[in-house]
Formats: sequence, structure tokens, C-alpha cells
Amino acid sequence: MTAPVLEIRDLAVEFKTDTGLTRALRNVNFDVPRGEVTAIVGESGSGKSVTANCIMRLIQPPGRITGGSIRFAPTASQAFDIAALEDKDERLLDLRGGHISMVFQEPMTALSPVHNIGGQVAEAILCHREVSKEQAWAEAAQMLAHVGIGDIERRMTMYPFEFSGGMRQRVVIAMALVCNPEVLICDEPTTALDVTIQAEILTLIRNLQDELKNSVIFITHDLGVVAQIADHVVVMYQGRVLEIGTVRQVLKQPVHPYTKGLLKAIPGVVDPGERLATIASVVGDADITTPFPLIKLSDGRQVSLPRGHVPAELKP
Amino acid sequence: MTESLLEVRGLSKSFDGVPAVEDVSFDLQRAGTLGVVGESGSGKTTLARCILRAIDPDVGTVRFNSENGWTDLHDMKARDLVPLRREMQMIFQDPFSSLNPRMTVRQIIEEPLLVHGQRNRAKRLDEAIHMLELVQLERDSLTRYPHAFSGGQRQRIGIARALVLRPTFVVCDESVSALDVSVQAQIINLLEDLQKELGLTYLFVAHDLAVVRHICDRVLVMHHGRVVETGSVEDVFERPQQNYTKLLLSAIPSPDPDVPLRPLDRQALGL
Repeated sequence: MTAPVLEIRDLAVEFKTDTGLTRALRNVNFDVPRGEVTAIVGESGSGKSVTANCIMRLIQPPGRITGGSIRFAPTASQAFDIAALEDKDERLLDLRGGHISMVFQEPMTALSPVHNIGGQVAEAILCHREVSKEQAWAEAAQMLAHVGIGDIERRMTMYPFEFSGGMRQRVVIAMALVCNPEVLICDEPTTALDVTIQAEILTLIRNLQDELKNSVIFITHDLGVVAQIADHVVVMYQGRVLEIGTVRQVLKQPVHPYTKGLLKAIPGVVDPGERLATIASVVGDADITTPFPLIKLSDGRQVSLPRGHVPAELKP
Repeated sequence: MTESLLEVRGLSKSFDGVPAVEDVSFDLQRAGTLGVVGESGSGKTTLARCILRAIDPDVGTVRFNSENGWTDLHDMKARDLVPLRREMQMIFQDPFSSLNPRMTVRQIIEEPLLVHGQRNRAKRLDEAIHMLELVQLERDSLTRYPHAFSGGQRQRIGIARALVLRPTFVVCDESVSALDVSVQAQIINLLEDLQKELGLTYLFVAHDLAVVRHICDRVLVMHHGRVVETGSVEDVFERPQQNYTKLLLSAIPSPDPDVPLRPLDRQALGL
């Protein structure tokens, strides 16, 4: 068992707003296993994107990290706490786009409209390594071919508006992977795409991960996508982690009432014509708002429940 | 046998010579729900807009079974369409941009009544209050502005606005696509309840095939502006005949991790 690449402990984030302090994250605890895909699922406002932004140290005022640690253990160098770095620490420049990189939801806004595709991918290389422009351009071409873009020479001199949504997302993935990061964070990378293109991009991410063996954090609200891409699942709600386990544990035998509700609310799970379950109807009287600490169950998963509510066969 | 509410024949529309909808024909049964599915650019929304005459089709006929009998929508003057608009309404995708931020919920829900000549203030208010109950929002919502509501609540306001004129035909253009899964489930249940209660007929435009399968009884699959396959939801989803339908269905990720995603190859299918 290798050590996790990221260990997140008691992470807390607050946003100062006109109406007071909003606690975007409260005592978030989970590990990101090395070389595997961890999905963070939750609805809007659950804190999944804030968690990703913390790992990249992209939380900006009025938000700030108010507590906890993010221990990052690169394979080749000393482990350090990302949350504790000064804003001007040079390690942050290495980190962003170098050790850890990110693929965003909307590929059109993630790309510059006024720079050509080749230049944007090459820039990612030039930011992090001492290579000539020609070398960077050649490596960018290689990476673009790798993510399935054909007719490279011509396409590299084209601009994002000349590409379809799926092609742009391939470019963003190439940019994210070109420095061979240890951790790739994908924040809803397929949400804006058609289902057919989503299937292509999911297959691409999965194949690249199999090949490059980097650790992937995949943020999504779509449980179908989770089932297809993830090895591990972290379920978040209102800034807290409710359940952590393998993809089969969480999706096939959920323990937390909220996870059960989330699964039952998907159309396609019940027969057409039947009413869809809403989370409120599945959760019923169970308390999902009190922050109970995570308990480790006998099958290895963790769940935020009062001890009395843990099913007998899974008692630690 | 149920009667038809809408008959569309040979509908086509192109923009600057680029065809968006080509030769589309179908019937819509009263109190039924017809799903229109396809990728972006397949012509779903253009089709919906042509039917409502939000844009004018180039050729083709749209006949609507209104309170006063069958009417040809395609050759009516804009002014003559106004009374018919009471019977046909639309629920939009984005609960944020489809509500005017400077209007209170009361003004938003009452506006269609005003447009259609309801001058009695008390009657308008009664209607607005009734609509709020129907979409399960608190009565004190009336004096508040859209920004005070969540996405799901805003979509309820949009539904109240669409239904306040008591239409028979409602076009839902990606009406649940922007919502979280639990909120989406609530809105889908609400749309189904309202359909039963008010006898509504839905044209449900969506790219999410799981949602279409749940809510629709018939489905129209569009590709490059043409209808490639049509039939009952069960037939189309269980026994797709066309390669394009097979491609779409193969791309849906199953929430069961033991059912792997195996999307068909577009080139191999000759699409």
C-alpha cells in the first residue's frame, strides 16, 4: 500500500459575505490515493469545487482557508502542507500546472480566445521547464496528438473559436497533462458537453490515467459519470464529507441516508411512470445537517453518522 | 383513442442557407408527453420555436387543436396569434436569465394576465396566489424578487408564469437541465403532477436521455435537423432501429459501476 498523494485533514474555508460568515468547508477529511481516480460528488453548494480550489490554493478573498492541512507528497521530493504555504512561496508556482493541474468545466473560458492552440499548450511547458520555444512547440504537438487531435500542424495555428466543445476540452486536457502532473483535478469537465462527446472525453481521461498512472480528482454531480470513471468516491453535502468508500461500496451499498437519496433521485433508476424519490423523502427524519465525525466502518469506508445509526454488520 | 392536439407536417427552417430543421412531421396526442432528443445543433430548439411561431418556419404546416377547433398556425398573422398564445406556453432552461430581476414574483406571474387583458387587479392577485400554491411556493414569495430564490424555486416561478393562462400545450425546453439531481427530481414530479391535474400536453426538449425516458411517452430523435427515429419511449430505448439512436443510447453512463461505458464509434456507424 503506497502512501496517499494528498491527505486532507480538518480543512475549513470561510467566505465573508454581507450577511455574515459562510462556512464553505467544515472539517473536510479525506485521502487521495496515489495513481487512482477519486470522485468528489455533491450538489451545488456542497463544497466540492471549493475543495479543489483549496488544493490549488486558488481561494481568494473574501474567502480564506481558516484551518486544517493539505499534505502533498510528491514522489520525487519532500512532502509539504499546501494549506500552510505563504501566498508568495515559490513552491506554489511549481505546484499550479506543474505538480497539480486542473481541467475546468467550460473549455471556452479556460482557453484564451486571442492565442492559438499550439501557443497555449506550449506556454504551459515554457512556464515550468527550461526548454527552447521550438522544443516546447514540438512537445505540445505530441501531447495534442496524444489526446486525439488530428491534422496537428494546421490545428495548432488555429484559435479556440474554430474548435468544437469536445475538441476544446481535449486541448484543455492536453494543457493540463503536458507537464506530467502527479495530480490532475477535473472540475465537471464533461458537464457542458453532449452525452456522446462526454462519453469520448470520459474514455480519454480513463485511458490517459491508465497509461500515465497519475492521481485524478474528478468533481461531478453526475453519479453515472462517477460510476464510469472513479475508483473511490467522496460524497459531500453543505461543506462536509458524509461518506467515503470505493465506487462499488458507495454506489451499490450506500450507508448514509443522503447518499441513498442522491442515488434514488436519478431518473432511470425507478420505472418510468413511477414518482422520482426526492432526497427529502428518502432521508425522512434522519439528521443530515449535524456534523458528526467520520467513523471508519469494518469494510474500510468512512461515514458521518451517529454511532447508533451505523448498520450492525458494518460496526467497527 | 386519444385525439391529437398538434399536427406538424413537412416543417423546415434554415438560417442563412444552413438547414436547421428539415422536413419534420409528427402528431402530438392530447395529454401526452413527446420528448425531442438529439445533440446540440440537431435542431431541437429551432423545431420547438417554429411550432410556437417564435420564429417563422420556411415551409411546412403546423395545425393546433385550439378551444375553437383546428387552426393553422403557420399562415396566421402575428396579431391573430395573440389569443392562441394563451393556450401555448413555454418553460425555459435557465431559471436565472428567464426571470426579470427587477420584477417581483407577483409582477412576473401576473404579467401574462395583463398582456392578455385581465384588468381586474383582485382577479390577477387571486390567480397569482393560486399558481403559487400549485407550484408549492409560499404565499409571501409574491413580494420578493427572483434573486431571493434558489434555482429550483425560480424554476417553479417560471412554471407558475407559464401556467397562469391555463394553457393546454406547454413546451419545456431543457427545463430541468440546469438543476441539481435532487431538485430536478422535485421539478419532474411537479411537472407530472400538473400534467395530471390540468390535462397538459408537453413537448419536452432535452439532451438528457434518462430524463426523457422517465417523463415522456413518445420520443422523436433528431440528427442534423431531421427526425431519424420516432416511437414509444419503450420501443426507441429498448429496440432502437437507427444507428444514430444506438450511438446516443450507448453514450449514457450507467450509475452501476459494473455496467461499463462502451460508446459506439461514430465513424464505424457511418454517421
